[in-house]
Amino acid sequence: MTKNIDSSSELVTPDYSEFIPAMDRRRMSHVQKMSIACALDCLQQAKIEQADAIIVGTSMGCCINTKNFLDKILDAKEGPVSPTSFIVSTHNTIAGQIALLMKNHGYNMTYTQNSLSYEQSLVDAILCCAEGLMNVLVGGTDEEEDSIYNMRARLKDDKILETSGASFFIVSNTKSKTGAVNLIDAGSFGLVKNTYETAVEFLQANNTTAHEIDIVLYALSGKSSLNELKSVFGAEKLFDYQEITGTYYTNSAFAMHYAIDILSNQPHPIFAEVKTVLVYNNLIPENLGLILLGTKNE
Amino acid sequence: MRIFVTGIGVISAIGRNVAENLHSIKSLRTGIRKSLEYKLMIGEVPLSNEQLVQILNLPDEDFSRTTLLALPAAKEAWGNNKNDSRIRTGLISSTSVGGLDRTEKYYSHSQTTKTNDHYSLMIHDNGSTTERLAEELGISGHISTISTACSSGANSIMQGARLIEGNKLDRVIAGGSEPLATFDIKGFHSLNIYDKEICKPFDEKRMGLNLGEGAAFLVLENGQSISITGNKPICVLCGWNNATDAFHQTASSPDGKGAYLAMKNALAKAGISPDKIDYINAHGTGTGNNDLSESMALKNIFGNTLPSFSSTKGFTGHTLAAAGAIEAVYCTLSLVSQAILPNLNFSTPIPQTGLVPETHFRSLKIDYVLSNSFGFGGNCTCLIFRKY
Repeated sequence: MTKNIDSSSELVTPDYSEFIPAMDRRRMSHVQKMSIACALDCLQQAKIEQADAIIVGTSMGCCINTKNFLDKILDAKEGPVSPTSFIVSTHNTIAGQIALLMKNHGYNMTYTQNSLSYEQSLVDAILCCAEGLMNVLVGGTDEEEDSIYNMRARLKDDKILETSGASFFIVSNTKSKTGAVNLIDAGSFGLVKNTYETAVEFLQANNTTAHEIDIVLYALSGKSSLNELKSVFGAEKLFDYQEITGTYYTNSAFAMHYAIDILSNQPHPIFAEVKTVLVYNNLIPENLGLILLGTKNE
Repeated sequence: MRIFVTGIGVISAIGRNVAENLHSIKSLRTGIRKSLEYKLMIGEVPLSNEQLVQILNLPDEDFSRTTLLALPAAKEAWGNNKNDSRIRTGLISSTSVGGLDRTEKYYSHSQTTKTNDHYSLMIHDNGSTTERLAEELGISGHISTISTACSSGANSIMQGARLIEGNKLDRVIAGGSEPLATFDIKGFHSLNIYDKEICKPFDEKRMGLNLGEGAAFLVLENGQSISITGNKPICVLCGWNNATDAFHQTASSPDGKGAYLAMKNALAKAGISPDKIDYINAHGTGTGNNDLSESMALKNIFGNTLPSFSSTKGFTGHTLAAAGAIEAVYCTLSLVSQAILPNLNFSTPIPQTGLVPETHFRSLKIDYVLSNSFGFGGNCTCLIFRKY
């Protein structure tokens, strides 16, 4: 059974020594270690030595390194500062270091559009596959840091439980034995007026309807209304993934992982007879991320 | 499919718009000056936030300078374009500072007074600065922010082209915006690659970069979009590629492998051989490492017949996430003016490569222009533009 997250929950941390050399590990912040371990584990599972592209979605990037360098500047006043945390403060540090560890010379991209950062990475991964790339490593990752960013104020929601997380996947343009599910489509819609209409149009464009979706993994916050979501999809299909992930801007990547678990383990103990899952990310009221997944044979 | 460039806009230390930027380049006039605040040479846009708010006729709220610099450039590029339900339109911007300019103010403030400025903390993330820009332009739907350090601006233009080619969008306004931030100035200074004088790209005695600020945007359209908008193409974006150096977090490899791959693949995408390129707008930051590594990559691509090249960073300073976009606008100006853009402060070639950049604004028949942008994380992007 899935256990809901609460304030006593602790972040699951693997033994990073399996993935990252000790020298590198000591210098890395939390978001770097989480992401690199996930990325490398992902490649091992898919039995792929080299990805053709690396795409990372991260809203806050290396925000702890950023905060550390800000602290150093303030402490030093006019004096000299060490560049250590500066050089790993850019958002693309994560995707860049994965490439560096793998000696990967391919396409390398980083999207940072708050709650849509991960969906935009997926849109790009699908585009890469259409352009002919075989295996795209794509992930969503963010670490909790509340002294330089106020997520509660941005989401107008004091009840959120801020957490961290990283989820990585291989998106491939060819079916393989290790392939788990079918990524049908992903969409990122910013400043939308009617999120439900946008979702229905997205499903239409993919030759399906709200009725045909078996499970909707959703995230809402602030003023977004659950009632409208119920009326579009039906209350029995809805599951709030933030109950298990807590809140970080790229937690829809976790939801995609959960969707894959459901689809590739049929009959699933909680969600039996499921063929299609929609990840409905409406964490920021005016932003909508959609990820449509189906079982392998569909 | 052809990707047409139909609008350009830029603001930098050498001008508030395209015409002013071109005029400064023609007059060999740099925008880099000694900053009293930082006691360093910087390429500052000589307008305060308050002045920008006034010029742009914006409401009285706490904007990030990232948005305030992006707006004049984006509006200039956007021109008389209108939203049209038949044209799928997107906005792609790039920045590495994002709302950090506001965070810096709040954060230093909090060290002494411990007050909480919630609003400033809400716009720290890069994405919010792009959303504010989209709101002003009236664009919704595909609103995206790319952050790959100093190649970001070029990547955002490349993504615009890929989304149009992949039939996801018909029209994209793509570019980048970067304000000066104490964070970056102290950061590059701490790396000992900040020149005390005006930077000297590709010169033997180059001592590093100067930071600058600015923004630039391009409007990209497919043929279908043009048939509705009636916009006249300025030039064609015909080649693009992104590759990774995978050598070091901040330094480029001695042979510039990432740069080499990006140029090679962009040429292949454009379907042309290297000898078709008439002018190269190099990344050319003025650091010892970049200019040597880029020179090696250029030699490996072009052999002994290197076309005219220059770095325009001696005019603007290194504008980080905006650099690729500002230089893309300069490439379109090279095509439109049929001229090579000059490299300032060059006197002696780097002994290992002997490459000599163009130092005058010089007329030449130009069909193809190539632009390089490289960033931290070994991120290398190359764009190729063709005369229309």
